[in-house]
Amino acid sequence: MFVRLVSDSFARRPRHKLLTGAALALGMAVATAALSVALDVGDRLAREFRSLGANLQVTPQADSLPLEIGGVDYRPVNAGAYLPESDLGKLKTIFWRNNIVGFAPTLEFPAVFHRATPAGAPRYGGQIDSGTPASVIGTWAGHSVRASDGTRYSTGVEKTNPWWRIEGNWFAEESKECVVGERLARRYGIKMGDTIFLEGQEIAPRSTMILGDDGPRVGLLVRGLLSTAGSEDDAIVIPLNLAQQIAGKPGEYRRLYVSALTKPEDDFGRRDPNTLAPADYERWYCTPYISSIALQIKQVLPGADVRVIRRVAEGEGQILTRVRALLWLVTFVALLAAALAVGASSAASVIERRAEIGLMKALGAGSGTVGSLLAAEQLLLAFVGGGLGYALGIFLARYVGQKIFGAAPAFSFVVLAVIIGLAAIVTLLGSAIPLRRASRYEPAPILRGE
Amino acid sequence: MPDRRMFWRILRRIFTSNRGRLLVILLALGAGAAVTAALLNLQVDAKRRITSEFRVFGANVVVAPRGTDGGREAGTLDQSVVEKIPALAAQRRIPVVAFLYLIADVSSHHSKKPVPAVIAGAAGYGVADVVPGEPVAVSTSISQTEPNCLLGTKVASELDVRVADRLFLESGNRKETCHVASIVARGGPEDNQIFINLDVAQRLAALPGRISLVQLSVVGTPAQIDGYIAGLRGQLPDVEVRAIRQFTEGEAKIYDRISGILSYTVALVLVLTALSVMAAMTNVAMERRNDVGLMKSIGGATRRVLRLFLAEAALLGLTGGVLGAALGLLASIWLGKQVFGVAARPRLIVYPVAVALTMLVSIAGAFPLRRLASARPASVFRGEP
Repeated sequence: MFVRLVSDSFARRPRHKLLTGAALALGMAVATAALSVALDVGDRLAREFRSLGANLQVTPQADSLPLEIGGVDYRPVNAGAYLPESDLGKLKTIFWRNNIVGFAPTLEFPAVFHRATPAGAPRYGGQIDSGTPASVIGTWAGHSVRASDGTRYSTGVEKTNPWWRIEGNWFAEESKECVVGERLARRYGIKMGDTIFLEGQEIAPRSTMILGDDGPRVGLLVRGLLSTAGSEDDAIVIPLNLAQQIAGKPGEYRRLYVSALTKPEDDFGRRDPNTLAPADYERWYCTPYISSIALQIKQVLPGADVRVIRRVAEGEGQILTRVRALLWLVTFVALLAAALAVGASSAASVIERRAEIGLMKALGAGSGTVGSLLAAEQLLLAFVGGGLGYALGIFLARYVGQKIFGAAPAFSFVVLAVIIGLAAIVTLLGSAIPLRRASRYEPAPILRGE
Repeated sequence: MPDRRMFWRILRRIFTSNRGRLLVILLALGAGAAVTAALLNLQVDAKRRITSEFRVFGANVVVAPRGTDGGREAGTLDQSVVEKIPALAAQRRIPVVAFLYLIADVSSHHSKKPVPAVIAGAAGYGVADVVPGEPVAVSTSISQTEPNCLLGTKVASELDVRVADRLFLESGNRKETCHVASIVARGGPEDNQIFINLDVAQRLAALPGRISLVQLSVVGTPAQIDGYIAGLRGQLPDVEVRAIRQFTEGEAKIYDRISGILSYTVALVLVLTALSVMAAMTNVAMERRNDVGLMKSIGGATRRVLRLFLAEAALLGLTGGVLGAALGLLASIWLGKQVFGVAARPRLIVYPVAVALTMLVSIAGAFPLRRLASARPASVFRGEP
């Protein structure tokens, strides 16, 4: 009888039920879409923030004070300390290794470069000019690192400095190729495909030099022109291993940039790890705060000083926190509005059925029976409408995610559970208030239409 | 005019006869209006605020001497260039700081021999905004008699100095002293630098009235920043105006994402809320079949009856909109304060827009009543579909 009454109610007034269901489905679609976007946006934005490049800088602990002005280090090459390149594979073994988006070591030194006269390189009978001083930066581009666990991983300066633009190609690793800063290239008329000759100011012992036909100079093919709007526009960028040989520092680098995905530092993250209790320390260590990642890097790179690049890291944390809070508020407001609209819809449908309620009561149904009958109807609607709304909302959220980040938010059962639960609560609450009032009425006046 | 009087009387009855129903309708419409007003207001404000938030990245534009020959020898600019830089971008004052860099031998009472270090002489509005950092130690005293200086963490540990110590700077045969006011962690090359007043650095370098570069932290949307840079280039043709691409490009990318996600989410929420409210309103309106049937059976023309109900819907929309939008605006002010710490500025244009949208949704929700125009009163009363 109960089931028949419920199914009858749906069959008798399909349009009515359809509208209540539609209001419910749309309301829940709002809630689903907003919730999915808000849940997902933190991770996606954190990835976007990596377009700011490295947020950690590693330098040798024993280093002398760098004399860096406008991106140019004025120290001589043999001043200061260096770090071993062979340790870098260990970066991919730290606890938060998957949060490390990229890293690139650099070795910078002043050098003199020569251009060949139009007749070509000396071996073809040409001449080279007397030489021009320039900064040379050795680094990685598309370098394949072997992690200690044997996996390979490709990284390089294009990951840590994503704002560097290259016209042409990056140099190939292990080759005698280079890219030239665009300002330097413009000033000296260097074009792609040219060959320049590099000479370290501190010429290394001949045994470690790559001796070509050109004497103690290295001929480098210009593969591309680099534009960074920074000091690198005046520099020559070459593969790290080549730079190490020219500077006479085999297997060493001076500075390492690391770009890592982090969680914005909260009050807990800002606490000094040395004062934390063991359990708290564990939690701190296992949270991808920038400071805990910095500590983990320091643990695998002996003799290194790991610094957080504050202006990148702090800015990222602050903005991420704000945007996330903003989206949660939008979600909250959307949930509230959806709940109110759906609740109002359910309430209206109960109010209008006073005559029916009166009739049922006149026929001997108790308040409980009437209430459970209506509640069953509303719950059925809530499940169907909520489910449909969830499907619609997920579809919309995927569309938005695809449109903005090029990736759809992950499917989450939590959202489904929250949405169905919310739909049930809202419809029940919306109908409970008018139901209570209806149950207090005497059937007779209602049936008479008073 | 009995006709019009009757019209108003019926409307009045509609509002007073069934309070519960009225409340339910106003709740739905009000919720829709509140969401519309709150989100529209918050969206405009949030985008503006985000551009200010970006300034925690520090300087994003540099004014430097035009590419001097040789690359490694840095040239200088005349200090008067600072006065030619517009101080406002997007109606907000921007930090503009002139720097002069030099390398000097630095020693303290603790250090045995002088260490060469980079001295950054700085002067202008908003030094801390241009080179943001986190103070590690701040001196309780500020010297009145000698220049105060600000040390990067690395140079401080290298020299083994603490706040309130005295530093001796020497370049050529020129000597200066300074009082260490604070030690700041910045994570960049600034950690190796000693910040001091520009005039002290100029005396030390024997370059009076000269600066190495000017750093600016230009606020605004990516388009506004580009416009500012273009304007600055026009104003200062003899020097190089350079965007720090790491930040201008990164900011533009992130701003586009954030503003996209805000616009999409808000549009999505608004459309779905409107549809949901509309469905609820149609549901409510359909319950008036009996009233429509009664009015028609006592001789009401279909158009008059419909007009009555649409007027009712418009009035409900107006009431719900006026109340809901006001609530929504108040809510957005509060929400703005929660997120950004600064109350969102209410934009008055949002209010009429939200009210009009609510009325529109309400009227559109009542429109299906038109279908009843063809219904015969008798079948309506019999309860036939």
